[in-house]
Amino acid sequence: METLATALLGFFFAGYFVLGGADIGLGMLAPYLGRGRDERQHVTSTMAPMFLANEVWLVASVGVFIGAFPELEGDVLSGLLPVFVPLVAGWMVRDAGLWWRVAGGPQAADWLVTGGSWVAAGSWGWVLASLLNDSPTEPISPGLGALTTLFVLLLFLAHGLAFATLRLTGAPLQRALRLTGRARYSFALTSVVIATLAILAGGRLPLSEHAASDTSLKLLVPVSVVVLPLLTAAHLWLWRLVRRGGMQPTSLL
Amino acid sequence: MESQTVDLARWQFALTAGGHFLFVSLTIGLATVLAVLQTRATLRGGQPVHLRMVRFWGRLYVINYAVGIITGLVMEFQFGMAWSGLGKFAGDVFGFSLALETVLAFFIESTFLALWMLGWGRFNKWVHLGVLWVVTLTAYMSAYWVLVTNGFLSRPTGYAERADGTLELADTAELLTNPSTLLAFGHILGGSLLTAAVFMAGVSAYHYRKGTADDDGLLRRSLRIGVFTGVPALLVTVAFGGMQFGETEEWQPMKAAVFDDNKAEIAKLQAEMVERFGPGDYVPPEALTRGAGLLMVLVFVVLLVAAVAGVVLASFRRLAVKSRRWHLFLMILVPLPYVAMIAGWVFREAGRQPWVVYGLLRTDDAVSQVSTGRMWLSLIVFVPLFMALVVGHWWVLLRAVREGPREQQHKPAETTEPVPAVTAY
Repeated sequence: METLATALLGFFFAGYFVLGGADIGLGMLAPYLGRGRDERQHVTSTMAPMFLANEVWLVASVGVFIGAFPELEGDVLSGLLPVFVPLVAGWMVRDAGLWWRVAGGPQAADWLVTGGSWVAAGSWGWVLASLLNDSPTEPISPGLGALTTLFVLLLFLAHGLAFATLRLTGAPLQRALRLTGRARYSFALTSVVIATLAILAGGRLPLSEHAASDTSLKLLVPVSVVVLPLLTAAHLWLWRLVRRGGMQPTSLL
Repeated sequence: MESQTVDLARWQFALTAGGHFLFVSLTIGLATVLAVLQTRATLRGGQPVHLRMVRFWGRLYVINYAVGIITGLVMEFQFGMAWSGLGKFAGDVFGFSLALETVLAFFIESTFLALWMLGWGRFNKWVHLGVLWVVTLTAYMSAYWVLVTNGFLSRPTGYAERADGTLELADTAELLTNPSTLLAFGHILGGSLLTAAVFMAGVSAYHYRKGTADDDGLLRRSLRIGVFTGVPALLVTVAFGGMQFGETEEWQPMKAAVFDDNKAEIAKLQAEMVERFGPGDYVPPEALTRGAGLLMVLVFVVLLVAAVAGVVLASFRRLAVKSRRWHLFLMILVPLPYVAMIAGWVFREAGRQPWVVYGLLRTDDAVSQVSTGRMWLSLIVFVPLFMALVVGHWWVLLRAVREGPREQQHKPAETTEPVPAVTAY
């Protein structure tokens, strides 16, 4: 049961980095890729339809973390509080910015998306650095964490760029291609790298020693495993529905 | 633990959860109305007015939904960040319900909401309708799973004590059918529907006053739906609320005594609890608890009178369309269900202090081992962000309200983009 619970947590966490990470990376690059009003709108509209559906992977990760490893979850989140505060704050700002754009809000909200994405990506770098250095209950010093954080930032950028080549059109696409070249499968490649990193970092946690009781796991794990194919199928459906070119934010409804 | 840390953590959680609750109550209620509206539109072969209605209320629904999510995210993280003592003590009992909330309810809800938005005009109409029903039902499920946790905090059941004093899950069925959960679930579903009904009536009334053209009767229909849904929603809310009230005396006698302002009973219970749990103050903040409870009841009375009068007035088409005073009155009512929701929540949560898990774990012992400085950091970052979020959100929502229902349109504009944009409607 613990093994399955760990696999479940890993699946959601890695899924978040692949899907949500693409959004964050694209958000970081938005000012570079989209110049001028129409292009910016185009870039935003690429993220808009799916960003909530991407982020639920993180919500589910934290949910499974609480459910299957309640004590450890509390230790990690309260221990790394100084990093999780900017992480969640950046995330909020990003989402609010995107949402206001979708609902027809002012163009300045684009800067919230970009700023929030950078803060969230940097905070993730620090979280992963702390986990990788076996310091899950106290953020490691900036000196130790700087290199990993920098690497994670670059990874988010690369992943966002690869995503951009899949979704964008016109001048923003050309700008993205100028950086990536005509590399095929670049999104698959960055996805594998970012997912592996997430799993390596999460794998440092002493999960199996901190699993919840069997009664609790026997409820949570089978139910989740049964619905997992359904969740994945719904996501594939959604992924196919969003095509290159995105959607006009104001025409969302 | 320093007492200031506890206070800071409590303030932060109160603001987060309260803010979240405000948006969620409209979301759940509007989802229900929307699902019914789209069902009717689908069954009746897609009359333009029905489709326009789904689109207008759907737009407001979606705008509102997002803020509910963003505040919910922050709340989820706060469990671990600020209240790790609670997870350590009882996470084994309620943790799975929070996990299932995310996996079974919230995950599906968000995914299908995105499918619903992108599926406009692209899906088969029955598939599209089915997608919306999934959104609505998972919204209910979400509320249920969260209330499994909340019900457990108010009336712990289905647990066993371990050797080290912490709790573990013992009887799942008992936990899932906790009456404190089920009654609150009914109460909140009713309250959400009421919030949505009053909102619909108020927004429609606003457009009447503004003189918005209503050739196809969209506003008239919406106003009637709002007014006529209000009464049954109110009755359901009150029925479940009343049942909970009746049980309070047994589940949390101190809360009942505080509400009744029965000084002798309060003193007696305090003495009993000191004997049972050791020295301490077992009286919840009296003015806050009683005030919140009374405010909730007061709002109920006002809404009851208004709702019944509304049904009578709305039965006369001339009055329903022409009476500007009534329209103003309907607009003034819009905030009231929110007030009642928040007041009821304060009554439930403040009234069980000093306990976080009633009779088992004190709030002071649930807070994380975090320095006061770090807790301040968290509060200073989140509170202004929250306020900006709420203000910005209302600005966007009210703008969409003011803009009103859009004209029936229009094929996707294929000329603006090299590749056809996904035009959702």
